Amino acid sequence: MADAILYDSTKCTACRACQVACKQWNELEAEETTNRGTYENPPELSPSTWNKIKFTELEEGGEFKWLFTRLACMHCEDASCLNVCPTGAISKTDDGFVLIDQEWCIGCGYCVQACPYHVPHKDEHTGTARKCTSCANRTSNDLMPACVTTCPTGALSYGDRSTLISLAEQRVTALGGSATLYGKNELGGLHALYILEDSPEVYGLPAEPQVATKNSVGQWLSGLLTAGVITALPFWFIFKRKSQIAAGELDKGGAK
Amino acid sequence: MTWTALIWIYLWLAGMAGGAFLAAKAVGRFSGSKDDSLLRLATYLALPLAVVGVLLLIFELGTPIWFWHLFTQFDFGSPMSMGTWILIAWAIIAMIMIVSWWLQEKVSPEAAASLARMRKLLSRINIFFSAALITYTGVLLAVSSQSLWAGTVLLPALFVVSAVSTGVAVLVLAALALNRIADGSMAELKLALNQIFGTTQWKTPKETILKLAEADALIIVLEIAVMIGYVIWLVTSTSGSDALGVITTGSMAAPFWVGVVLLALLIPFGLDITIRGKAAEAKGVMTTVITSSACVIVGGLILRWVITSGGQL
Repeated sequence: MADAILYDSTKCTACRACQVACKQWNELEAEETTNRGTYENPPELSPSTWNKIKFTELEEGGEFKWLFTRLACMHCEDASCLNVCPTGAISKTDDGFVLIDQEWCIGCGYCVQACPYHVPHKDEHTGTARKCTSCANRTSNDLMPACVTTCPTGALSYGDRSTLISLAEQRVTALGGSATLYGKNELGGLHALYILEDSPEVYGLPAEPQVATKNSVGQWLSGLLTAGVITALPFWFIFKRKSQIAAGELDKGGAK
Repeated sequence: MTWTALIWIYLWLAGMAGGAFLAAKAVGRFSGSKDDSLLRLATYLALPLAVVGVLLLIFELGTPIWFWHLFTQFDFGSPMSMGTWILIAWAIIAMIMIVSWWLQEKVSPEAAASLARMRKLLSRINIFFSAALITYTGVLLAVSSQSLWAGTVLLPALFVVSAVSTGVAVLVLAALALNRIADGSMAELKLALNQIFGTTQWKTPKETILKLAEADALIIVLEIAVMIGYVIWLVTSTSGSDALGVITTGSMAAPFWVGVVLLALLIPFGLDITIRGKAAEAKGVMTTVITSSACVIVGGLILRWVITSGGQL
């Protein structure tokens, strides 16, 4: 059975209890940050911040407006990180969540470059890539992920993915306007679903995320074909064609 | 930034290694020469370059002692996994070839003939692995979510052309250096090289060196064309133009325009043009060849730096 985390941005007050719960359960260090002129903190995901609320500031009709969204692993069905991992350290649970085996990851950083959401980060202390596990060690023991358990407004819920999708679709219909459900079909379906008040781009989410391995064949062909051309043409011209021309001219010279 | 200097130095070294091998093989094929001393020089040069590159790569890992986990997986979808296997196959073949050259004059003529036949076969197989090796250095970046790398399919093409260009340049410089040693008075060094190469015949004809430089001028023309294609492709794509801005007008602009456009492309091309049709003995020709090759090599390194770092900004 596929599970998912559902985040309803319209119910989120950005209290950031989920951030704290995540750090507590996963024993992640706090980060020292500075005031950047926003309540959003820490500034981005890191090896020790696997879940954070992003603040988007807007002006609508002369009024200031905040939009909140959650940044954490999207647990893509077609996961770029898993596709490019060279050691097989990244795997998917039966529930659909993407995990990095900390005992097998060599810290090559490829998943960091491949993720369309810039989620995994290389931890210099552990020498591995780390990210949200959707609290697999809780969910496998019939507990909710720490962020979901702690959320005081009901913005986060956890459960069967298709059930959550139907609930989310009802909610989106009730909200009306530009409200939308993100994650139903993106990258084969995300296991983190988002109810958004506005289009994904407004929240800084890619409207059409692409899996990193999408153009693999084209990329290999581009290089291999070029290698063929580049080792044939210039060398043929300089080492064969020009010698032939020179030989031809010599023959003519000899005939005179 | 996750991928730092060790990565782009590695991409540059691996490119040069594969490029030098391919170039030497192409020269052998098109010049019709039975003498494989240029291929020998290229292989002797390429293997250490690649090995140094791999050591840097392992050192860049978060957990270097677990690098062997790479050899537990064969995954067509992961360019890094494919690169691991391509590199190891390429290096083993190169190593066997080197040993066979080293043994060449130490064994009976019949055995030497068998060695030469085996080497010919192996070198043909390594044409494929060299092409795959230099392609993978580009595909590694291109199969990602960074717009500067993944926004076009021309990055592997660009790295391939640059790899062959730098491979030719490093062959030229090494051949000139060896010729100088051969003509010099350092007897002990000559003896040591005789031992290493397994023969006393390790000079490269000046004409071959000059022709290599001429070939590099043509390669650079193609490199300029691929670079223009790469830039246009990114400019016309939605996410690519912002990513390109980082290297053309942003924080990487100086190394891009000076290091890549001038040093890797325009200056060596201009220098190679001035020696067209001149004899190898003519005044200043070899100095020009050396300068041009050095520019290509340094420019190739800066290209890897600009693209690898620029893509992560």
